[in-house]
Amino acid sequence: MIEIDDLHKRYGDKTALAGVSFAVKPGEMFGFVGANGAGKTTTMRILMGVLAADSGQVRRDGRPLTFEDRRKFGYMPEERGLYQKMKVSEQVQYFGRLNGMSAAQAAKATADLLERLSLTGRAGDEVGALSLGNQQRVQLAVALVHDPEVLVLDEPFSGLDPIAVDALAEVLVERRTAGVPVLFSSHQLDLVERLCDSVGIISAGRMVASDTVEELRAREGRRLLKVVVRDAAPGWTAGLGGNITEKGDEVLFTDVNGSDQEILRAATKAGTVEHFGWERPTLTEIFREAVA
Amino acid sequence: MSGLWLVARREIATRGRTKAFVIGLVISALLVGALAFLPKLFAGPDSYTVGFVGPSTLQPALTGAAKDVEITVKPFADEAAARKAVLDGDVDAVVVDDRRVFADGEVDRELGLLLEGAHQTAQAGRQLAAAGLDAAKVAEAMRVAPLEQVSVGADTRYAGARTGIATLLVMLLFFQLLQPSMYVAMGVVEEKGSRIVEILLTSIRPWQLLGGKIVGLGALALLNLVVVIVAGLGAAAISGFASDMPPGIGGVVVSTLFWFVLGYAFFATLAAALGSLVSRQEEVSSVLTPMMMLIMAAYFVSYFAAVEPGSPVARILSMIPPFSSMVMPVRTAAGEVPLWEMGVAAALMIIATAAVLVVGARIYERAVLRTGARVKLSEVVRDGSAVAR
Repeated sequence: MIEIDDLHKRYGDKTALAGVSFAVKPGEMFGFVGANGAGKTTTMRILMGVLAADSGQVRRDGRPLTFEDRRKFGYMPEERGLYQKMKVSEQVQYFGRLNGMSAAQAAKATADLLERLSLTGRAGDEVGALSLGNQQRVQLAVALVHDPEVLVLDEPFSGLDPIAVDALAEVLVERRTAGVPVLFSSHQLDLVERLCDSVGIISAGRMVASDTVEELRAREGRRLLKVVVRDAAPGWTAGLGGNITEKGDEVLFTDVNGSDQEILRAATKAGTVEHFGWERPTLTEIFREAVA
Repeated sequence: MSGLWLVARREIATRGRTKAFVIGLVISALLVGALAFLPKLFAGPDSYTVGFVGPSTLQPALTGAAKDVEITVKPFADEAAARKAVLDGDVDAVVVDDRRVFADGEVDRELGLLLEGAHQTAQAGRQLAAAGLDAAKVAEAMRVAPLEQVSVGADTRYAGARTGIATLLVMLLFFQLLQPSMYVAMGVVEEKGSRIVEILLTSIRPWQLLGGKIVGLGALALLNLVVVIVAGLGAAAISGFASDMPPGIGGVVVSTLFWFVLGYAFFATLAAALGSLVSRQEEVSSVLTPMMMLIMAAYFVSYFAAVEPGSPVARILSMIPPFSSMVMPVRTAAGEVPLWEMGVAAALMIIATAAVLVVGARIYERAVLRTGARVKLSEVVRDGSAVAR
């Protein structure tokens, strides 16, 4: 388990992190979301040891992370970094070898990964000759080549076409299933919602929410009541509590404050109740609410 | 350690395969090889063809006296044939009846001296014989050991060759110190600017990355230097210039390689430390200015030392690092250097290089992950807590 415990970081007089804590369990895909400048990249750089925190700690299974731990991590920094003049296959192998693989292991892992990422045909090309999307796939291959025990990916999906997104998502799910904790940041909330088990929302250097997606939705979920009544007499909602938005037969209640059963009785009296239930908010709605 | 070798291998593989490196290597080898032929080109030929008309006593004296040069003898039936051969350039000169010499214009200076000497010997022998003296005994009596030259100052016999070699060495060292150091700085900035360094430094330690880069590019520079030296010496052997070279050329080669390794370690580490302060290639040259000025200063002093190896300026600066890395090998090539001066220079330079390695590696380690605006040197020195390690 990777634990991030009360990280603080200041750049000059600007506070980047003001007590960031969360945990990523083995076999868990953790989506790290937040507005630009909220502190995602700073947190991930501290996690990877390329930046020092002013205070706070990053632990793995209870003990502080060491350099040797991080060598077994797969990391994709926010700004993509590859040697432009180096060939794709050579480059991926090089990073595998730097992480302690033998030449043969690195060659095999590279060939497998390039196959998975549909890059086999470009193995002998210089990275600089590839499209940005393909360079991103190489970047991912670099992060994955040494079969990392933990994955830390900063905006891995940005700039990818839908097919590449699916390919990357598939690889990440596979790693997660193999028991690897996967932490990635993204602005594509639908993707985070679809892929992640847990979500952390950061705003202005503070975690405003961090929990499983189910839990977050459940917690936020008892706020919006949707009622659909066919052939209702107009004005049946008059006198009911909460804010009401009507759209044809559909009525949305917010701030119901426990008067849900009263609304149900009024609805049955008014006509045929087709739908009555709490609306599950999307992650986007939760996010908007949380950072507002 | 394996991390360092992997990095070094990558540097060698990527830089060594570039056209620029291969072409540069071939051109510098050819250039130095060609230079080894220059002295012979200007020094004139060392073989002559001399024609003779009529019987000659000068001929044996001439072929007997010429030790360093090769004389080919060509007999001619009459003067007309001899004149034609001279004009056609078939012979350098023709001796007619031991009294006249035909040449196209003036006789070559060295050949003229040889002919005059042979003429003196032959003529004197004949006149002595005519006076009733035994030719063999006369010859015996006339044999005189040549004057022995003893220099009470420096050995100046090879001054010209020494200055030439030293001047060449100045340029060679200048380029082989400057260029790879620039490559080191550019490589550091490439990795910093593209953030590859963030991935690299989660896999290997900063000293491995820095050390590998310096070792790899240094190995290429050393290869370049060795190839150029071998090309130069090889060409000198072929052209015959090698026989005019001062003794102890092996010592000069060893000293050059020794000082190159120290000088390169010094300047490359300095370049890496300075390079790590910036994130964009456009900023490299401005941040390297102090190092460039140091190398340029060493370059000019070395030129001076090539011509005036014994001057106080050359002697003092050849012991002060980092100037010593260029001035000392040049001085060694240009003239005799007392052993103690070499020892002092080497000791000081080793200390300076070690200091630069320690300080430079620390600056690099602290600055290379701070992307964005140029990092101030004072910030790096003051704030050691930039990176968790």
